[in-house]
Amino acid sequence: MFIFLRRRVLPAALLAVLAGCASLSPDQGFGEVAALAKPSLGQTPPRARSDEERAASRQMVQQLLQKPLSVDAVVQIALLNNRGLQADYEALGIAEASWVQANRLPNPGFSFGRTSSGDDIKIDRSFSMAVMGLLTLPLTARIEARQFQVSKLNTANRILQVAADTRNAYYQSVAASQSVRYQEQVESAAAAGSELAEKMAKAGNFNQLELAREQAFHADAVTQLARSRQLAVAAREQLIRLLGLSGEQSGFTLPQQLPELPKQRPSLQDSEQLAMAQRLDIAAAKLEVDGLQQTLGLNRATRFINVLELAYLHNSEPGASRETGYRVSLEIPLFDWGGARVAKSEAIYMQAAQRLAETALNAQSQVRVSYADYQSAYDLARHYRDQVLPLRKRVSDEYLLRYNGMLSSVFELLADAREQANAVNAAIDASRDFWMADNAMQLALGGPVNQPPQSAASANPQGK
Amino acid sequence: MSHLSRRAFLQGSALAVSAGAVSRIAAASLPEAVIQTQAGTQPPLNPASGRPYQPVVTLNGWTLPWRMNNGIKEFHLVAEPVVREIAPGMKANLWGYNGQSPGPTIEVVEGDRVRIFVTNKLPEHTSVHWHGQRLPNGMDGVTGLTQPGIKPGKTFVYEFVARRAGTFMYHPHADEMVQMAMGMMGFWITHPKDPSFMRVDRDFVFLLNAYDIEPGAATPRVNQMTDFNLWTWNSRAFPGIDPLVVRQHDRVRIRVGNLTMTNHPIHLHGHEFVVSGTDGGWTPPASRWPEVSVDIAVGQMRAIEFDASEPGDWALHCHKSHHTMNAMGHEVPTMIGVDQKSVLKKINQLIPDYMVMGDKGGSMGEMEMPLPDNTLPMMGGQGPYGSLEMGGMFSVVKVRAGLARNDYRDPGWYRAPAGSVAYEWQGAAADLPAAGSPRPAASDAADKETVVNVVKPAAHRHQ
Repeated sequence: MFIFLRRRVLPAALLAVLAGCASLSPDQGFGEVAALAKPSLGQTPPRARSDEERAASRQMVQQLLQKPLSVDAVVQIALLNNRGLQADYEALGIAEASWVQANRLPNPGFSFGRTSSGDDIKIDRSFSMAVMGLLTLPLTARIEARQFQVSKLNTANRILQVAADTRNAYYQSVAASQSVRYQEQVESAAAAGSELAEKMAKAGNFNQLELAREQAFHADAVTQLARSRQLAVAAREQLIRLLGLSGEQSGFTLPQQLPELPKQRPSLQDSEQLAMAQRLDIAAAKLEVDGLQQTLGLNRATRFINVLELAYLHNSEPGASRETGYRVSLEIPLFDWGGARVAKSEAIYMQAAQRLAETALNAQSQVRVSYADYQSAYDLARHYRDQVLPLRKRVSDEYLLRYNGMLSSVFELLADAREQANAVNAAIDASRDFWMADNAMQLALGGPVNQPPQSAASANPQGK
Repeated sequence: MSHLSRRAFLQGSALAVSAGAVSRIAAASLPEAVIQTQAGTQPPLNPASGRPYQPVVTLNGWTLPWRMNNGIKEFHLVAEPVVREIAPGMKANLWGYNGQSPGPTIEVVEGDRVRIFVTNKLPEHTSVHWHGQRLPNGMDGVTGLTQPGIKPGKTFVYEFVARRAGTFMYHPHADEMVQMAMGMMGFWITHPKDPSFMRVDRDFVFLLNAYDIEPGAATPRVNQMTDFNLWTWNSRAFPGIDPLVVRQHDRVRIRVGNLTMTNHPIHLHGHEFVVSGTDGGWTPPASRWPEVSVDIAVGQMRAIEFDASEPGDWALHCHKSHHTMNAMGHEVPTMIGVDQKSVLKKINQLIPDYMVMGDKGGSMGEMEMPLPDNTLPMMGGQGPYGSLEMGGMFSVVKVRAGLARNDYRDPGWYRAPAGSVAYEWQGAAADLPAAGSPRPAASDAADKETVVNVVKPAAHRHQ
């Protein structure tokens, strides 16, 4: 795991920011966030802050909603319009303000006193300055800089998560409405069979058993159709939520079917390495460890002076958001010469280092799982497309030939039409599962699947 | 004649060297095993050696040549898998003899000493039973009872004297159900010593057989017992069965053997005939009565005779109507009287090539629709006035004046003299004799009965 520690994987721009001077930026660091998210996203995430910008992005959303939505378009709309994401962007401003604040010297104080005692007038002037603030400033500034940086990474990561959620909802919704259309065909085949059976019974050619059987088929198909319509509504609403749409905006159209499968199943070499280099959550964890390392160095240097204790507060639980912070306190070195403090700092550092290692190992495993899922989902979807569906088509063709030769009845043709629609439905599900696996794979890799590992490595100038 | 010697046949193939060598050695002791590659009716084989006789014509078949060896007639039958064309457009994987199923007709003369070499090229053992012959018990060909089975690759010899003139068959008596379901059978004629005894001008023979071949498949389902879908004469189905060509005023004999699992009432149009022979021999003239149909029970042989006095194309067929149909769906529901117009649109959305059939009856002889591969239409066969709407056990006896004695070539359709063909009534409807039938009086129980409606086709011209 220390390989990852030693590797300086953050882009150079980021490091420059870490050491940069402290003043409020016009974009609260969003430009860097956007640059971080861009390689994975394939587009630059926008942010509207002024009224004009907000109007422009509203117009952009409206424009995108006019046409049947592609997967890139829904991601774009979510980035422009997802309110949760907009709220996350504000956290950047909070972090930046804290950082800038930490770089400012505390204001000096001036006091003027005039007292009189009888005819005696006493004027007392004093000038004071918070010495402690001066002492702690370099430390707190560095910590806030890191916090700001972590905040940027987290925001970029959040953008990627929203994009991934949106893509998933999109695939679900397109597949669900595609399924509804095929379920409608099943229903219509069953309806035709039922109607024909009624005519048969009326003409005296069918008995009540045969009639009831055909009608039961139809009744069944009606329930199936209702269910798939329900699922389609739920999937669409999920997408609408992620897109942050309301009212008449939700009348958008989706394409008739999911995108074509890629021509070839991508095979990734060093997918785990790629994830280590690309994933922003890992970058954030590394940054934390770097910070602790510096604290440890400081504690070692100051153990005999003992003026400061810098506690890094770190509280992370699975599922809960991380709480970070610090406390600086001054003590008078009378009894404790600092040995225990150094030991504690070391332990805290090692704890964070182990956590980073855990994060990295989990990420590696996650990549392996999602890569395997991705590959089998691809194979399955292709099998449906290249084997199952053509064979079902042939079965239907042969049924028709048999019908032509009066070797089988129209009811068998209709039953087969139902079967065929069911097979198409299963193929749609397989295709949807592939695209969702592709999405999960992107998230696990921290970047698009089709990006060759070489180019990811070269994007990192300090990568070794 | 398109007989082809096995040696010549093999020399044309990649097996030429080894097969040629085997054949040369075999030729020293075995007669040539002649094979037949065509499914058409072959002209009669006039005897070039041995006693004279009036040969028969095997419908869509042929007669096996022989060689004389010290006064003994030697034949060579090879039991083997064959591909038989059931009718143009459909071929079947069958088992047969010498290239065809059924095997060649064997013709001998009463009193002939006959030696038959039987080579087994099937994947399992076989035997040949000479159905109806009087012969030594050990030559009867019943596996396990009178002989061991002939193992694959082995050759057995049967030898006996053809003691009784008449109509016979041969077929395996080993794994019979499979081997007969696969088409192992053949005809045997023992001609009378006196060629003028019951002499006829044309003597046709064929076997009735049935197969169950799934539409689109080629091998019979050998476990089928009742539900056959191909009813054939000599493993041919109409329109693949050749006509029986006859010169007007010829004396005609048709010998039919039944190796299916059901009886067949064979019906001849335009003439009455007598049954002149059974399995047991010739029927005494005094016992014959005229018929137009003869029921041939399972395993039986019948010879019928008539004078072909009436020129024309006369149908000859099994009178079980589904035996004059090819493969058809037995589970297909009846669509008669069901108006499918409203449903058609819905179905067409799902199945664009679907079209309505059967609502006015089963007639589809005029429809040309794609069928599964290797499948015959249920009915068909074009005649001079349109589709014959026939299949299976159906052929035509074509009686024509002025044919040559040995001319069996198809003379084409009969050209009826003017005014001798049924015609459409051109007069007024009112001039037709009244066709009203007395309506049954309304019964008291009528309202309790199920009401059944009959849909009649709408009148087009008069109303």
